[in-house]
Amino acid sequence: MTSTRVTPAPAEPAERPGRSPAPRRRGRAERRPRILIAVTALFFALLYLPIGVVALYSFNAKKSLTVFGGFSLRWYRAFLHDDVLISSLGTSLKISLAAMAGSVLLGVALAIGLVRSRSRLGSLAGLIMLVPLITPEIVTGVASMLLFKGLGVTLSTGTVMLAEITFSVSYVTVILRSRVAALNPEVEEAAMDLGATRWQAVRLVTLPALLPAVLASAVLIFALVFDDFVLAYFTTGVDPQPLPVRIYSAIRFGVRPTVNAVGTLMLAGSVALIALALFIPRLFGRKGGLDILSGS
Amino acid sequence: MTVLNRSTRRTGRDRRGPSASGTRMWTWFMLPGTLWMTTFLLASLALVAVLAVGTTDELGNPRFGFDLSSIRAMADPAYGEVLLRSLGYALATCLICLLVAYPVAYTIALHGGRFKHALIAAVVVPFFANYLVRMYGWSVVLSDDGPVLAALRGMGLADGGTKILNTGFGVIAGLVYGFVVFMIIPLYAALERLDVSLIEAGRDLYGGPVRTFLFVTLPATRQGAAAGLVLVFLPCMGDFVSAQLMGGPDQIMIGNLIQDKFFQGQNWPLGSALTMLLMLALLTGMLGYLRRTRKDEAEARR
Repeated sequence: MTSTRVTPAPAEPAERPGRSPAPRRRGRAERRPRILIAVTALFFALLYLPIGVVALYSFNAKKSLTVFGGFSLRWYRAFLHDDVLISSLGTSLKISLAAMAGSVLLGVALAIGLVRSRSRLGSLAGLIMLVPLITPEIVTGVASMLLFKGLGVTLSTGTVMLAEITFSVSYVTVILRSRVAALNPEVEEAAMDLGATRWQAVRLVTLPALLPAVLASAVLIFALVFDDFVLAYFTTGVDPQPLPVRIYSAIRFGVRPTVNAVGTLMLAGSVALIALALFIPRLFGRKGGLDILSGS
Repeated sequence: MTVLNRSTRRTGRDRRGPSASGTRMWTWFMLPGTLWMTTFLLASLALVAVLAVGTTDELGNPRFGFDLSSIRAMADPAYGEVLLRSLGYALATCLICLLVAYPVAYTIALHGGRFKHALIAAVVVPFFANYLVRMYGWSVVLSDDGPVLAALRGMGLADGGTKILNTGFGVIAGLVYGFVVFMIIPLYAALERLDVSLIEAGRDLYGGPVRTFLFVTLPATRQGAAAGLVLVFLPCMGDFVSAQLMGGPDQIMIGNLIQDKFFQGQNWPLGSALTMLLMLALLTGMLGYLRRTRKDEAEARR
Protein backbone atom coordinates (compact mmCIF):
# COMPACT_ATOMS: atom_id res chain seq x y z
CA MET A 1 0.00 0.00 0.00
CA THR A 2 3.01 2.27 -0.19
CA SER A 3 1.91 3.18 -3.67
CA THR A 4 -0.88 5.44 -2.44
CA ARG A 5 1.66 8.03 -1.51
CA VAL A 6 3.21 8.00 -4.95
CA THR A 7 -0.08 8.58 -6.73
CA PRO A 8 -1.41 12.12 -6.80
CA ALA A 9 -4.92 12.41 -5.43
CA PRO A 10 -7.26 11.67 -8.32
CA ALA A 11 -10.00 13.83 -6.92
CA GLU A 12 -8.51 17.10 -8.17
CA PRO A 13 -11.09 18.37 -10.65
CA ALA A 14 -8.43 20.63 -12.17
CA GLU A 15 -6.61 17.55 -13.42
CA ARG A 16 -9.56 16.39 -15.46
CA PRO A 17 -8.49 16.05 -19.04
CA GLY A 18 -11.86 17.15 -20.35
CA ARG A 19 -12.92 15.59 -23.60
CA SER A 20 -9.81 16.35 -25.60
CA PRO A 21 -7.16 13.65 -25.34
CA ALA A 22 -8.57 11.23 -27.89
CA PRO A 23 -6.13 11.95 -30.70
CA ARG A 24 -3.15 11.85 -28.34
CA ARG A 25 -4.05 8.38 -27.16
CA ARG A 26 -3.48 6.53 -30.40
CA GLY A 27 -0.87 3.84 -30.47
CA ARG A 28 -0.27 1.15 -27.93
CA ALA A 29 -2.87 2.43 -25.45
CA GLU A 30 -5.48 2.26 -28.17
CA ARG A 31 -5.06 -1.49 -28.65
CA ARG A 32 -8.50 -3.06 -28.48
CA PRO A 33 -8.84 -4.77 -25.10
CA ARG A 34 -10.67 -7.84 -26.39
CA ILE A 35 -10.97 -9.61 -23.06
CA LEU A 36 -12.39 -6.53 -21.35
CA ILE A 37 -14.92 -6.03 -24.09
CA ALA A 38 -15.90 -9.71 -23.96
CA VAL A 39 -16.42 -9.56 -20.19
CA THR A 40 -18.50 -6.39 -20.53
CA ALA A 41 -20.59 -7.91 -23.30
CA LEU A 42 -21.23 -11.03 -21.19
CA PHE A 43 -22.17 -8.82 -18.26
CA PHE A 44 -24.70 -6.90 -20.31
CA ALA A 45 -26.12 -10.13 -21.72
CA LEU A 46 -26.66 -11.56 -18.24
CA LEU A 47 -27.97 -8.22 -16.97
CA TYR A 48 -30.69 -8.05 -19.59
CA LEU A 49 -31.46 -11.74 -20.01
CA PRO A 50 -33.79 -12.04 -16.97
CA ILE A 51 -35.71 -8.93 -17.97
CA GLY A 52 -35.88 -10.15 -21.54
CA VAL A 53 -37.22 -13.52 -20.40
CA VAL A 54 -39.97 -11.86 -18.36
CA ALA A 55 -40.89 -9.56 -21.24
CA LEU A 56 -40.85 -12.41 -23.78
CA TYR A 57 -43.03 -14.76 -21.75
CA SER A 58 -45.49 -11.97 -21.02
CA PHE A 59 -46.44 -12.33 -24.70
CA ASN A 60 -46.61 -16.12 -24.55
CA ALA A 61 -49.79 -17.67 -25.90
CA LYS A 62 -49.26 -20.67 -23.63
CA LYS A 63 -49.39 -20.81 -19.89
CA SER A 64 -45.92 -22.36 -19.80
CA LEU A 65 -42.95 -20.41 -18.48
CA THR A 66 -40.42 -22.47 -20.39
CA VAL A 67 -41.98 -23.07 -23.80
CA PHE A 68 -42.89 -20.17 -26.03
CA GLY A 69 -46.12 -20.96 -27.84
CA GLY A 70 -46.60 -17.95 -30.05
CA PHE A 71 -47.42 -14.29 -29.59
CA SER A 72 -50.51 -13.27 -27.66
CA LEU A 73 -51.73 -10.48 -25.41
CA ARG A 74 -53.81 -12.77 -23.23
CA TRP A 75 -51.83 -12.08 -20.01
CA TYR A 76 -52.17 -8.35 -20.49
CA ARG A 77 -55.89 -8.86 -20.96
CA ALA A 78 -55.95 -11.06 -17.87
CA PHE A 79 -54.24 -8.27 -15.93
CA LEU A 80 -56.77 -5.67 -17.09
CA HIS A 81 -59.62 -7.91 -15.95
CA ASP A 82 -58.02 -8.75 -12.61
CA ASP A 83 -59.81 -6.40 -10.20
CA VAL A 84 -57.41 -7.15 -7.35
CA LEU A 85 -54.32 -6.27 -9.39
CA ILE A 86 -55.95 -3.16 -10.83
CA SER A 87 -56.90 -1.89 -7.38
CA SER A 88 -53.32 -2.64 -6.25
CA LEU A 89 -52.06 -0.59 -9.16
CA GLY A 90 -54.24 2.32 -8.03
CA THR A 91 -52.98 1.93 -4.45
CA SER A 92 -49.36 1.95 -5.62
CA LEU A 93 -49.93 5.07 -7.70
CA LYS A 94 -51.51 6.85 -4.74
CA ILE A 95 -48.63 5.85 -2.45
CA SER A 96 -46.04 7.01 -4.98
CA LEU A 97 -47.73 10.38 -5.48
CA ALA A 98 -48.06 10.98 -1.73
CA ALA A 99 -44.45 9.95 -1.09
CA MET A 100 -43.30 12.15 -3.94
CA ALA A 101 -45.14 15.24 -2.70
CA GLY A 102 -44.24 14.74 0.95
CA SER A 103 -40.59 13.89 0.49
CA VAL A 104 -39.98 16.70 -2.02
CA LEU A 105 -41.52 19.30 0.33
CA LEU A 106 -39.53 18.09 3.34
CA GLY A 107 -36.37 17.23 1.41
CA VAL A 108 -35.98 20.47 -0.55
CA ALA A 109 -36.42 22.59 2.57
CA LEU A 110 -34.03 20.33 4.47
CA ALA A 111 -31.40 20.50 1.72
CA ILE A 112 -31.52 24.31 1.55
CA GLY A 113 -31.33 24.57 5.32
CA LEU A 114 -28.48 22.06 5.59
CA VAL A 115 -26.31 23.89 3.07
CA ARG A 116 -26.99 27.43 4.28
CA SER A 117 -27.14 26.90 8.01
CA ARG A 118 -24.02 26.60 10.06
CA SER A 119 -25.73 25.81 13.34
CA ARG A 120 -25.24 22.69 15.38
CA LEU A 121 -28.73 21.52 14.47
CA GLY A 122 -27.49 21.57 10.88
CA SER A 123 -24.79 18.98 11.43
CA LEU A 124 -27.12 16.87 13.56
CA ALA A 125 -29.84 17.01 10.90
CA GLY A 126 -27.25 16.10 8.28
CA LEU A 127 -26.40 12.97 10.24
CA ILE A 128 -30.02 11.95 10.88
CA MET A 129 -30.77 12.38 7.21
CA LEU A 130 -28.10 9.82 6.31
CA VAL A 131 -29.47 7.07 8.56
CA PRO A 132 -31.94 5.57 6.03
CA LEU A 133 -29.16 5.34 3.45
CA ILE A 134 -26.99 3.13 5.67
CA THR A 135 -29.81 1.06 7.16
CA PRO A 136 -31.01 -2.01 5.26
CA GLU A 137 -34.62 -1.67 4.23
CA ILE A 138 -35.71 -4.61 6.32
CA VAL A 139 -34.62 -2.76 9.45
CA THR A 140 -36.48 0.40 8.42
CA GLY A 141 -39.47 -1.78 7.59
CA VAL A 142 -39.49 -3.58 10.94
CA ALA A 143 -38.98 -0.30 12.80
CA SER A 144 -41.81 1.51 10.98
CA MET A 145 -44.17 -1.39 11.51
CA LEU A 146 -43.39 -1.48 15.24
CA LEU A 147 -43.89 2.29 15.49
CA PHE A 148 -47.32 2.16 13.89
CA LYS A 149 -48.37 -0.88 15.90
CA GLY A 150 -46.97 0.69 19.08
CA LEU A 151 -49.02 3.83 18.47
CA GLY A 152 -52.07 1.68 17.87
CA VAL A 153 -52.38 2.71 14.23
CA THR A 154 -53.95 0.11 11.97
CA LEU A 155 -51.66 -0.67 9.05
CA SER A 156 -53.12 0.68 5.82
CA THR A 157 -52.24 2.52 2.64
CA GLY A 158 -51.67 5.60 4.80
CA THR A 159 -48.98 3.93 6.89
CA VAL A 160 -47.15 2.85 3.73
CA MET A 161 -47.24 6.49 2.59
CA LEU A 162 -45.73 7.71 5.86
CA ALA A 163 -42.99 5.09 5.79
CA GLU A 164 -42.15 5.76 2.15
CA ILE A 165 -41.91 9.52 2.77
CA THR A 166 -39.38 8.90 5.54
CA PHE A 167 -37.32 6.70 3.30
CA SER A 168 -37.47 9.12 0.34
CA VAL A 169 -36.61 12.36 2.16
CA SER A 170 -32.98 11.23 2.33
CA TYR A 171 -32.78 10.71 -1.43
CA VAL A 172 -34.30 14.11 -2.22
CA THR A 173 -32.00 15.78 0.28
CA VAL A 174 -28.87 14.08 -1.04
CA ILE A 175 -29.71 15.01 -4.64
CA LEU A 176 -30.73 18.59 -3.85
CA ARG A 177 -27.94 19.26 -1.39
CA SER A 178 -25.20 19.24 -4.00
CA ARG A 179 -27.32 21.44 -6.25
CA VAL A 180 -27.89 23.99 -3.49
CA ALA A 181 -24.18 23.92 -2.67
CA ALA A 182 -23.42 24.66 -6.32
CA LEU A 183 -25.56 27.82 -6.22
CA ASN A 184 -23.77 31.04 -5.48
CA PRO A 185 -25.19 32.49 -2.22
CA GLU A 186 -24.16 35.93 -3.44
CA VAL A 187 -27.05 35.86 -5.89
CA GLU A 188 -29.47 35.59 -2.97
CA GLU A 189 -27.61 38.40 -1.23
CA ALA A 190 -27.83 40.53 -4.34
CA ALA A 191 -31.60 39.99 -4.37
CA MET A 192 -31.72 41.09 -0.75
CA ASP A 193 -29.62 44.18 -1.51
CA LEU A 194 -32.26 45.01 -4.07
CA GLY A 195 -34.91 44.95 -1.40
CA ALA A 196 -36.10 41.35 -1.28
CA THR A 197 -36.64 39.74 2.09
CA ARG A 198 -34.68 36.56 2.76
CA TRP A 199 -37.77 34.45 2.16
CA GLN A 200 -38.48 36.27 -1.12
CA ALA A 201 -34.87 35.69 -2.15
CA VAL A 202 -35.29 31.93 -1.58
CA ARG A 203 -38.67 31.82 -3.30
CA LEU A 204 -37.81 33.98 -6.30
CA VAL A 205 -34.10 33.17 -6.78
CA THR A 206 -33.09 29.88 -5.18
CA LEU A 207 -36.16 27.74 -5.81
CA PRO A 208 -36.41 28.55 -9.55
CA ALA A 209 -32.71 27.69 -9.92
CA LEU A 210 -33.35 24.36 -8.21
CA LEU A 211 -36.45 23.54 -10.24
CA PRO A 212 -34.82 21.08 -12.69
CA ALA A 213 -33.23 19.09 -9.88
CA VAL A 214 -36.46 19.20 -7.87
CA LEU A 215 -38.50 17.85 -10.77
CA ALA A 216 -35.92 15.18 -11.58
CA SER A 217 -35.75 13.99 -7.98
CA ALA A 218 -39.56 13.96 -7.80
CA VAL A 219 -39.75 11.66 -10.80
CA LEU A 220 -36.99 9.49 -9.38
CA ILE A 221 -38.78 9.16 -6.04
CA PHE A 222 -42.00 8.27 -7.82
CA ALA A 223 -40.24 5.43 -9.65
CA LEU A 224 -38.38 4.19 -6.57
CA VAL A 225 -41.45 4.18 -4.35
CA PHE A 226 -43.66 2.61 -6.98
CA ASP A 227 -41.22 -0.32 -7.25
CA ASP A 228 -40.41 -0.52 -3.55
CA PHE A 229 -41.29 -3.82 -1.99
CA VAL A 230 -39.70 -4.31 1.42
CA LEU A 231 -40.96 -1.19 3.17
CA ALA A 232 -44.42 -1.59 1.65
CA TYR A 233 -44.49 -5.25 2.70
CA PHE A 234 -43.87 -4.41 6.35
CA THR A 235 -46.20 -1.43 6.59
CA THR A 236 -49.18 -2.32 4.39
CA GLY A 237 -52.58 -3.38 5.61
CA VAL A 238 -54.45 -6.38 4.32
CA ASP A 239 -56.94 -5.15 1.82
CA PRO A 240 -55.63 -2.73 -0.79
CA GLN A 241 -52.05 -3.95 -1.03
CA PRO A 242 -49.44 -2.17 -3.16
CA LEU A 243 -48.59 -3.86 -6.45
CA PRO A 244 -45.09 -5.13 -5.49
CA VAL A 245 -46.57 -6.87 -2.44
CA ARG A 246 -49.11 -8.62 -4.69
CA ILE A 247 -46.34 -9.62 -7.06
CA TYR A 248 -44.42 -11.05 -4.13
CA SER A 249 -47.25 -13.33 -3.06
CA ALA A 250 -47.88 -14.31 -6.69
CA ILE A 251 -44.21 -15.27 -7.14
CA ARG A 252 -44.05 -17.15 -3.85
CA PHE A 253 -47.21 -19.14 -4.28
CA GLY A 254 -46.84 -20.36 -7.83
CA VAL A 255 -46.23 -17.84 -10.56
CA ARG A 256 -49.14 -16.93 -12.70
CA PRO A 257 -48.01 -15.64 -16.10
CA THR A 258 -49.94 -12.44 -15.37
CA VAL A 259 -46.93 -11.47 -13.25
CA ASN A 260 -44.85 -11.39 -16.43
CA ALA A 261 -47.25 -8.93 -17.98
CA VAL A 262 -47.41 -6.73 -14.87
CA GLY A 263 -43.63 -6.86 -14.53
CA THR A 264 -43.13 -5.86 -18.15
CA LEU A 265 -45.54 -2.95 -17.79
CA MET A 266 -43.79 -1.82 -14.62
CA LEU A 267 -40.43 -2.06 -16.34
CA ALA A 268 -41.66 0.04 -19.24
CA GLY A 269 -43.06 2.58 -16.80
CA SER A 270 -39.81 2.76 -14.82
CA VAL A 271 -37.69 3.17 -17.93
CA ALA A 272 -39.96 5.97 -19.12
CA LEU A 273 -39.73 7.71 -15.74
CA ILE A 274 -35.93 7.38 -15.58
CA ALA A 275 -35.64 8.72 -19.11
CA LEU A 276 -37.83 11.61 -18.02
CA ALA A 277 -35.68 12.26 -14.93
CA LEU A 278 -32.55 12.30 -17.10
CA PHE A 279 -34.23 14.48 -19.69
CA ILE A 280 -35.59 17.16 -17.35
CA PRO A 281 -32.25 18.95 -16.76
CA ARG A 282 -31.74 19.08 -20.52
CA LEU A 283 -35.10 20.77 -20.91
CA PHE A 284 -33.69 23.55 -18.81
CA GLY A 285 -30.57 23.72 -20.90
CA ARG A 286 -28.19 21.78 -18.68
CA LYS A 287 -26.07 19.02 -20.05
CA GLY A 288 -26.07 15.45 -18.77
CA GLY A 289 -28.53 14.50 -16.07
CA LEU A 290 -26.88 11.22 -15.20
CA ASP A 291 -25.19 12.51 -12.08
CA ILE A 292 -28.66 12.71 -10.56
CA LEU A 293 -28.75 8.93 -10.44
CA SER A 294 -25.50 8.63 -8.54
CA GLY A 295 -26.46 11.58 -6.38
CA SER A 296 -23.22 13.46 -6.90
CA MET B 1 -37.72 16.08 20.11
CA THR B 2 -37.64 18.55 22.97
CA VAL B 3 -33.88 18.26 22.93
CA LEU B 4 -33.81 19.31 19.32
CA ASN B 5 -36.08 22.26 19.96
CA ARG B 6 -33.97 23.52 22.79
CA SER B 7 -30.72 23.24 20.87
CA THR B 8 -32.32 25.08 17.97
CA ARG B 9 -33.27 28.01 20.10
CA ARG B 10 -29.85 28.16 21.64
CA THR B 11 -28.00 28.19 18.34
CA GLY B 12 -30.42 30.81 17.11
CA ARG B 13 -29.49 33.11 19.96
CA ASP B 14 -25.80 32.29 19.77
CA ARG B 15 -25.39 33.69 16.31
CA ARG B 16 -25.67 37.43 16.50
CA GLY B 17 -24.96 39.92 13.79
CA PRO B 18 -26.48 40.52 10.41
CA SER B 19 -26.99 36.82 9.58
CA ALA B 20 -28.87 35.96 12.78
CA SER B 21 -32.28 36.26 11.14
CA GLY B 22 -31.00 34.12 8.28
CA THR B 23 -29.80 31.44 10.65
CA ARG B 24 -33.19 31.33 12.25
CA MET B 25 -34.87 30.94 8.89
CA TRP B 26 -32.52 28.14 7.83
CA THR B 27 -33.38 26.40 11.09
CA TRP B 28 -37.06 26.65 10.20
CA PHE B 29 -36.21 25.15 6.83
CA MET B 30 -34.54 22.16 8.44
CA LEU B 31 -37.03 21.68 11.24
CA PRO B 32 -39.94 19.85 9.52
CA GLY B 33 -37.69 17.31 7.80
CA THR B 34 -35.59 16.74 10.88
CA LEU B 35 -38.61 16.36 13.15
CA TRP B 36 -40.19 13.98 10.67
CA MET B 37 -37.06 11.84 10.49
CA THR B 38 -36.66 11.90 14.26
CA THR B 39 -40.21 10.70 14.82
CA PHE B 40 -40.52 8.16 12.09
CA LEU B 41 -36.96 6.92 11.93
CA LEU B 42 -35.01 7.42 15.13
CA ALA B 43 -37.98 6.83 17.42
CA SER B 44 -38.97 3.73 15.53
CA LEU B 45 -35.43 2.36 15.58
CA ALA B 46 -35.34 2.98 19.33
CA LEU B 47 -38.61 1.08 19.58
CA VAL B 48 -36.96 -1.96 18.01
CA ALA B 49 -34.31 -1.86 20.72
CA VAL B 50 -36.96 -1.50 23.41
CA LEU B 51 -39.05 -4.37 22.12
CA ALA B 52 -35.98 -6.60 21.91
CA VAL B 53 -36.10 -6.70 25.71
CA GLY B 54 -39.89 -7.04 25.77
CA THR B 55 -42.04 -10.14 26.18
CA THR B 56 -45.18 -11.57 24.72
CA ASP B 57 -48.40 -12.25 26.61
CA GLU B 58 -50.42 -15.48 26.42
CA LEU B 59 -52.04 -14.41 23.14
CA GLY B 60 -48.69 -13.70 21.55
CA ASN B 61 -49.10 -9.91 21.64
CA PRO B 62 -45.89 -8.00 22.31
CA ARG B 63 -45.55 -6.45 25.75
CA PHE B 64 -42.99 -3.89 26.77
CA GLY B 65 -40.92 -4.74 29.78
CA PHE B 66 -37.47 -5.80 30.69
CA ASP B 67 -36.83 -9.39 29.86
CA LEU B 68 -33.59 -10.68 28.47
CA SER B 69 -34.93 -13.98 27.15
CA SER B 70 -34.95 -12.79 23.52
CA ILE B 71 -31.43 -11.44 23.87
CA ARG B 72 -30.32 -14.66 25.52
CA ALA B 73 -31.93 -16.64 22.68
CA MET B 74 -29.38 -15.03 20.36
CA ALA B 75 -26.79 -17.32 21.92
CA ASP B 76 -28.55 -20.25 20.25
CA PRO B 77 -26.01 -21.70 17.81
CA ALA B 78 -28.75 -21.94 15.16
CA TYR B 79 -28.90 -18.12 14.99
CA GLY B 80 -25.14 -17.84 15.02
CA GLU B 81 -25.01 -20.20 12.08
CA VAL B 82 -27.54 -18.12 10.11
CA LEU B 83 -25.66 -14.90 10.92
CA LEU B 84 -22.36 -16.43 9.82
CA ARG B 85 -23.96 -17.73 6.65
CA SER B 86 -25.42 -14.29 5.91
CA LEU B 87 -22.00 -12.71 6.46
CA GLY B 88 -20.40 -15.32 4.21
CA TYR B 89 -22.95 -14.79 1.44
CA ALA B 90 -22.68 -11.00 1.73
CA LEU B 91 -18.88 -11.04 1.64
CA ALA B 92 -18.81 -13.48 -1.28
CA THR B 93 -21.30 -11.23 -3.08
CA CYS B 94 -19.09 -8.20 -2.42
CA LEU B 95 -16.05 -10.00 -3.81
CA ILE B 96 -17.84 -11.26 -6.93
CA CYS B 97 -19.40 -7.83 -7.50
CA LEU B 98 -15.94 -6.26 -7.31
CA LEU B 99 -14.49 -8.80 -9.75
CA VAL B 100 -17.40 -8.35 -12.17
CA ALA B 101 -17.85 -4.60 -11.80
CA TYR B 102 -14.22 -3.60 -12.13
CA PRO B 103 -13.65 -4.76 -15.72
CA VAL B 104 -17.09 -3.50 -16.75
CA ALA B 105 -16.61 -0.05 -15.19
CA TYR B 106 -13.05 0.08 -16.57
CA THR B 107 -14.16 -0.80 -20.08
CA ILE B 108 -16.98 1.74 -20.05
CA ALA B 109 -14.94 4.54 -18.49
CA LEU B 110 -11.74 4.12 -20.49
CA HIS B 111 -12.88 2.52 -23.72
CA GLY B 112 -16.52 3.61 -23.88
CA GLY B 113 -15.70 6.63 -26.03
CA ARG B 114 -18.77 8.60 -26.96
CA PHE B 115 -21.05 5.73 -25.87
CA LYS B 116 -19.85 6.09 -22.29
CA HIS B 117 -22.96 7.81 -20.97
CA ALA B 118 -25.32 5.54 -22.88
CA LEU B 119 -23.53 2.45 -21.57
CA ILE B 120 -23.59 3.53 -17.95
CA ALA B 121 -27.27 4.43 -18.34
CA ALA B 122 -27.79 0.91 -19.71
CA VAL B 123 -26.24 -0.45 -16.50
CA VAL B 124 -28.48 1.67 -14.30
CA VAL B 125 -31.81 1.21 -16.08
CA PRO B 126 -32.44 -2.47 -15.14
CA PHE B 127 -31.87 -1.48 -11.54
CA PHE B 128 -35.07 0.52 -11.78
CA ALA B 129 -37.04 -2.47 -12.93
CA ASN B 130 -38.98 -3.94 -10.03
CA TYR B 131 -36.61 -5.85 -7.77
CA LEU B 132 -38.96 -8.83 -7.42
CA VAL B 133 -39.60 -9.09 -11.14
CA ARG B 134 -35.86 -8.94 -11.85
CA MET B 135 -35.11 -11.60 -9.26
CA TYR B 136 -37.89 -13.78 -10.55
CA GLY B 137 -36.58 -13.45 -14.11
CA TRP B 138 -33.08 -14.26 -12.89
CA SER B 139 -34.39 -17.38 -11.16
CA VAL B 140 -35.97 -18.49 -14.46
CA VAL B 141 -32.66 -17.87 -16.27
CA LEU B 142 -30.73 -19.88 -13.67
CA SER B 143 -33.31 -22.66 -13.40
CA ASP B 144 -32.46 -26.26 -14.24
CA ASP B 145 -33.63 -25.92 -17.84
CA GLY B 146 -32.74 -22.28 -18.18
CA PRO B 147 -30.27 -20.80 -20.68
CA VAL B 148 -27.30 -20.45 -18.31
CA LEU B 149 -27.15 -24.11 -17.34
CA ALA B 150 -27.83 -25.10 -20.93
CA ALA B 151 -24.84 -23.02 -22.06
CA LEU B 152 -22.64 -24.44 -19.33
CA ARG B 153 -23.67 -27.97 -20.31
CA GLY B 154 -22.94 -27.18 -23.94
CA MET B 155 -19.43 -26.12 -22.96
CA GLY B 156 -19.04 -29.27 -20.91
CA LEU B 157 -18.75 -27.28 -17.68
CA ALA B 158 -21.85 -28.81 -16.16
CA ASP B 159 -23.61 -32.16 -16.31
CA GLY B 160 -27.28 -33.09 -16.04
CA GLY B 161 -27.20 -33.04 -12.26
CA THR B 162 -25.68 -29.59 -11.83
CA LYS B 163 -27.99 -27.14 -10.12
CA ILE B 164 -27.74 -23.45 -9.37
CA LEU B 165 -31.10 -22.86 -7.75
CA ASN B 166 -31.56 -24.17 -4.22
CA THR B 167 -27.85 -23.88 -3.53
CA GLY B 168 -25.81 -21.27 -1.72
CA PHE B 169 -24.33 -20.30 -5.04
CA GLY B 170 -27.81 -19.53 -6.33
CA VAL B 171 -28.45 -17.17 -3.42
CA ILE B 172 -25.14 -15.41 -4.02
CA ALA B 173 -25.94 -15.17 -7.74
CA GLY B 174 -29.24 -13.53 -6.82
CA LEU B 175 -27.56 -11.02 -4.52
CA VAL B 176 -24.93 -10.20 -7.15
CA TYR B 177 -27.61 -9.62 -9.76
CA GLY B 178 -29.60 -7.49 -7.34
CA PHE B 179 -26.88 -5.16 -6.17
CA VAL B 180 -23.95 -5.18 -8.63
CA VAL B 181 -25.06 -1.73 -9.83
CA PHE B 182 -24.03 -0.25 -6.48
CA MET B 183 -20.47 -1.41 -7.20
CA ILE B 184 -20.32 -0.25 -10.80
CA ILE B 185 -21.43 3.34 -10.18
CA PRO B 186 -18.74 4.35 -7.65
CA LEU B 187 -16.03 2.45 -9.56
CA TYR B 188 -17.09 4.13 -12.79
CA ALA B 189 -17.05 7.53 -11.09
CA ALA B 190 -13.52 6.87 -9.78
CA LEU B 191 -12.24 5.54 -13.11
CA GLU B 192 -13.78 8.38 -15.05
CA ARG B 193 -12.03 10.89 -12.82
CA LEU B 194 -8.75 9.06 -13.34
CA ASP B 195 -6.37 11.05 -15.49
CA VAL B 196 -5.50 8.90 -18.51
CA SER B 197 -2.13 10.60 -18.77
CA LEU B 198 -1.21 8.96 -15.46
CA ILE B 199 -1.55 5.57 -17.10
CA GLU B 200 0.48 6.80 -20.04
CA ALA B 201 3.12 8.13 -17.68
CA GLY B 202 3.26 4.74 -16.02
CA ARG B 203 3.76 3.15 -19.42
CA ASP B 204 6.35 5.73 -20.43
CA LEU B 205 8.30 4.88 -17.33
CA TYR B 206 8.48 1.30 -18.63
CA GLY B 207 5.75 -0.08 -16.39
CA GLY B 208 4.14 -3.04 -18.11
CA PRO B 209 0.35 -3.07 -18.40
CA VAL B 210 0.08 -5.20 -15.25
CA ARG B 211 2.42 -3.08 -13.18
CA THR B 212 0.83 0.14 -14.42
CA PHE B 213 -2.57 -1.23 -13.46
CA LEU B 214 -1.40 -2.37 -10.03
CA PHE B 215 0.49 0.78 -9.11
CA VAL B 216 -1.44 3.52 -10.91
CA THR B 217 -5.02 2.54 -11.74
CA LEU B 218 -5.86 0.34 -8.76
CA PRO B 219 -4.71 2.71 -5.98
CA ALA B 220 -6.52 5.61 -7.64
CA THR B 221 -9.81 3.72 -7.55
CA ARG B 222 -9.50 2.26 -4.08
CA GLN B 223 -11.96 4.68 -2.52
CA GLY B 224 -14.51 3.95 -5.22
CA ALA B 225 -14.11 0.24 -4.57
CA ALA B 226 -14.45 0.73 -0.82
CA ALA B 227 -17.64 2.74 -1.29
CA GLY B 228 -18.97 0.06 -3.62
CA LEU B 229 -18.20 -2.69 -1.12
CA VAL B 230 -20.21 -0.91 1.58
CA LEU B 231 -23.07 -0.14 -0.80
CA VAL B 232 -23.30 -3.82 -1.78
CA PHE B 233 -22.70 -5.25 1.67
CA LEU B 234 -25.48 -3.31 3.43
CA PRO B 235 -28.45 -4.40 1.29
CA CYS B 236 -27.07 -7.95 1.00
CA MET B 237 -27.14 -8.42 4.75
CA GLY B 238 -30.76 -7.34 4.95
CA ASP B 239 -32.03 -9.19 1.90
CA PHE B 240 -34.52 -12.02 2.23
CA VAL B 241 -35.90 -12.28 -1.30
CA SER B 242 -32.83 -13.86 -2.90
CA ALA B 243 -32.63 -16.63 -0.31
CA GLN B 244 -36.35 -17.27 -0.80
CA LEU B 245 -36.32 -17.42 -4.58
CA MET B 246 -32.86 -18.88 -5.22
CA GLY B 247 -32.18 -20.92 -2.12
CA GLY B 248 -33.76 -23.73 -0.20
CA PRO B 249 -34.40 -24.25 3.50
CA ASP B 250 -30.68 -24.70 4.13
CA GLN B 251 -29.79 -21.31 2.65
CA ILE B 252 -31.87 -18.97 4.81
CA MET B 253 -30.30 -15.67 5.79
CA ILE B 254 -30.89 -13.42 8.79
CA GLY B 255 -33.43 -11.38 6.80
CA ASN B 256 -35.53 -14.53 6.38
CA LEU B 257 -35.44 -15.17 10.12
CA ILE B 258 -36.57 -11.61 10.86
CA GLN B 259 -39.35 -11.83 8.30
CA ASP B 260 -40.43 -15.17 9.74
CA LYS B 261 -40.55 -13.90 13.32
CA PHE B 262 -42.72 -10.92 12.33
CA PHE B 263 -45.06 -12.60 9.87
CA GLN B 264 -45.31 -16.31 10.49
CA GLY B 265 -43.86 -16.85 13.95
CA GLN B 266 -45.47 -13.74 15.47
CA ASN B 267 -42.66 -13.51 18.00
CA TRP B 268 -41.92 -9.81 17.80
CA PRO B 269 -39.45 -9.53 20.68
CA LEU B 270 -37.36 -12.26 19.09
CA GLY B 271 -37.68 -10.58 15.69
CA SER B 272 -36.60 -7.28 17.23
CA ALA B 273 -33.63 -8.94 18.91
CA LEU B 274 -32.62 -10.45 15.55
CA THR B 275 -32.95 -7.02 13.92
CA MET B 276 -30.66 -5.58 16.58
CA LEU B 277 -28.20 -8.41 15.92
CA LEU B 278 -28.23 -7.51 12.23
CA MET B 279 -27.68 -3.83 13.02
CA LEU B 280 -24.81 -4.75 15.32
CA ALA B 281 -23.12 -6.78 12.60
CA LEU B 282 -23.55 -3.91 10.15
CA LEU B 283 -22.32 -1.24 12.55
CA THR B 284 -19.20 -3.31 13.20
CA GLY B 285 -18.59 -3.50 9.48
CA MET B 286 -19.27 0.22 8.99
CA LEU B 287 -16.89 1.18 11.80
CA GLY B 288 -14.19 -0.93 10.19
CA TYR B 289 -14.83 0.84 6.89
CA LEU B 290 -14.76 4.31 8.49
CA ARG B 291 -11.49 3.56 10.30
CA ARG B 292 -10.02 2.29 7.07
CA THR B 293 -11.03 5.39 5.09
CA ARG B 294 -9.82 7.70 7.86
CA LYS B 295 -6.45 5.94 7.77
CA ASP B 296 -6.38 6.36 4.00
CA GLU B 297 -7.17 10.04 4.30
CA ALA B 298 -4.48 10.53 6.92
CA GLU B 299 -2.03 8.69 4.68
CA ALA B 300 -3.00 10.80 1.69
CA ARG B 301 -2.50 13.99 3.67
CA ARG B 302 1.06 13.06 4.62
